[in-house]
Amino acid sequence: MYIISNALKNIKRNRGRNILLGIIILALIIASVTALMINQVSSSVINDYKGRFGSEVTISANIDKVREEAMSNSTDGKIRVAIPTIPAEQYIAFGDSEYLKESYYTASVGLRVPELESVDESLGGGTGNKMMMGGPGMTSEMPEYYTKLTTPNITEFDNGYRKLTDGEMPNGENEAIISRDFAELNTLSIGDIIKAESELNPEDRESDAGDYPISYELKIVGIYDDITEEYGSGQQQNAFTNRRNEILSNFDTIIAKMQENYRGIQVGATYFLNSPEDIDGFTEELGEKGLSDLFDVKTDMDSYNQIVGPVEGLSSVSSTFLIIVLIFGGISIAVISSIAIRERKYEIGVLRAMGMKKSTVSFSLWLEVFLITAVCVVIGIFGGTMIAQPIADILLQQQIDAVQAATQNTQMQGMMMAGGTNNAVVEEPLSHLDVVLNMVTLLKISMIALLLTTVSAVSSMLKIVKYEPIKILMERN
Amino acid sequence: MSCLELKDISYAYIKGKRVLKAINYQFNQGKVYTIVGKSGAGKSTLLSLVAGLDKCQDGAVLINGKSLNEIDRDNYRAQDVGIIFQQYNLLTNATALENIVLSMYISKTKIKNKNKHALELLNKVGINEEKATRAVMKLSGGEQQRVAIARALAHNPHIIIADEPTGNLDKNTEKDILEIFAELAHSENKCVIIVTHSQKVTKIADNICLIKNGSLIDLGDEDND
Repeated sequence: MYIISNALKNIKRNRGRNILLGIIILALIIASVTALMINQVSSSVINDYKGRFGSEVTISANIDKVREEAMSNSTDGKIRVAIPTIPAEQYIAFGDSEYLKESYYTASVGLRVPELESVDESLGGGTGNKMMMGGPGMTSEMPEYYTKLTTPNITEFDNGYRKLTDGEMPNGENEAIISRDFAELNTLSIGDIIKAESELNPEDRESDAGDYPISYELKIVGIYDDITEEYGSGQQQNAFTNRRNEILSNFDTIIAKMQENYRGIQVGATYFLNSPEDIDGFTEELGEKGLSDLFDVKTDMDSYNQIVGPVEGLSSVSSTFLIIVLIFGGISIAVISSIAIRERKYEIGVLRAMGMKKSTVSFSLWLEVFLITAVCVVIGIFGGTMIAQPIADILLQQQIDAVQAATQNTQMQGMMMAGGTNNAVVEEPLSHLDVVLNMVTLLKISMIALLLTTVSAVSSMLKIVKYEPIKILMERN
Repeated sequence: MSCLELKDISYAYIKGKRVLKAINYQFNQGKVYTIVGKSGAGKSTLLSLVAGLDKCQDGAVLINGKSLNEIDRDNYRAQDVGIIFQQYNLLTNATALENIVLSMYISKTKIKNKNKHALELLNKVGINEEKATRAVMKLSGGEQQRVAIARALAHNPHIIIADEPTGNLDKNTEKDILEIFAELAHSENKCVIIVTHSQKVTKIADNICLIKNGSLIDLGDEDND
């Protein structure tokens, strides 16, 4: 106990030197707190986005491979390029994997609703199944659709782009929800039935089998407000592509009309890997489960890089800054402590002559630096917290400017499609970080303070306590 | 009975040039010893070895039969011996009182009211309460010497070692201090070893030791006869 009171007295006795030491430690702590807070927040954001974008798997046809195969299979000079599809059963089978954390299934089908009017119907309808035909004499008659029955994109509802204002989500069989625009256009309300029709096309277009007509009777269980863009970027504008005409239902309702050897209902799935590193294993497993080589299995790292790029830059800047601060700050403190302890060599000699053990002398000196550092940590955390947010804002803006300047793809222009899907929901790249102090940062700064205190005190003390006390006193005397 | 024994002690600052050459001597409780000799004869060096401030290169200092090399020299300095340095060696930016209280803490003295005991000691050597709470640097040389003496007595050691303890004292204080040393030896059965050039100091000695050419010669108490 007397060591603590003696240390406090010594701090007071040598106040001039200790104030100087305290100022340097305080500056170092403020810089470290700021850098650590920015680094901590940016790292957690990076990890979060890496988890989201790096783990979401997209399976898409490789157009080049499809075209090559169509050309190699052509026997009559006619090239039929048909985008391959994945059967719903296969999508579901793919979802049963140890590599996956979650799987979401989607389905959609183009519809006609003869008794109802569609938004922008005057612009005409659109086709559901895209088919590229090539070669001489090839023609195609494609049915026109004016609305689409599709599974809801939950992210849009979570983000508030679509908001259910009446009723409930369509969880039961043949249940559906519609946009307020579509409902008002047709004076539809909850409980009304929508009768819709469509047709499935034979997979083998050479066969004599004709289209297979299907119909849906959908009960409206909810109405949602929709603030998404009516049309996707670069999309042809007609009633079919207008998102206000989308009728949202559940996966089971949509695929209930599927027929073997017929296509027309688009089925998709979104898989989330346990970890972005699982992509190779999952791709191999899909191949074993029968996924054609014509498909690419990818994670959406491009989206990740575009959105998180500035934050990664910020994280890198803060890490570098922290390392520089720690190196130069550590050296500064070590030098000052060394000078301070050299000045106190005589005092150490006296204490040793009085019988104080080397360990007690060392602890006493360490304690003085520690107490000064502890006060600086408290003030430094407060100061660092105050300036971390404005500094983070400035640095992040610089990083955003740098990333945007480096981005050659003018189509993106800092905006991009969320999650790399074809939804017309646009999401800003990260432009703001809420820099907050958390326990991890507090622990880190405490460890840094403790380490600096110990290194600076121990390195200096080692030189002094190795002498016999009489040698120290003789030097002075 | 001897409380302190020098056994074949040798010491050299420069290799081959020994200041102390195989010294053998026994110090007993209840006596005042003065060590005299010319400057540079090795008096202070011998005192450093006896005080456990330095290690002897050959031979051993035995405390109650045990070599200083075998026991904890820090504990020895803190509890068994009180040292009064020629240059005082006080904590200069601490007060006189703090110097003495700290000494008691280091030696783990079991006195409850350490401040009171320290003030009593300081009073005994002629330092009043007002001066006791002054920074040591603001005291005169003589006052600092008295603080050093009080500090050496603070933990009630059974060996007191002093290097020119009265060099900076006026005649009256010198007399008082010498009386204290004599009383400590004769009434409290302590072993007091004083290095000095002063005739007055040798007068209180029970034994006078002369260091000459690296050897210690026991002159008995011949000067006082």
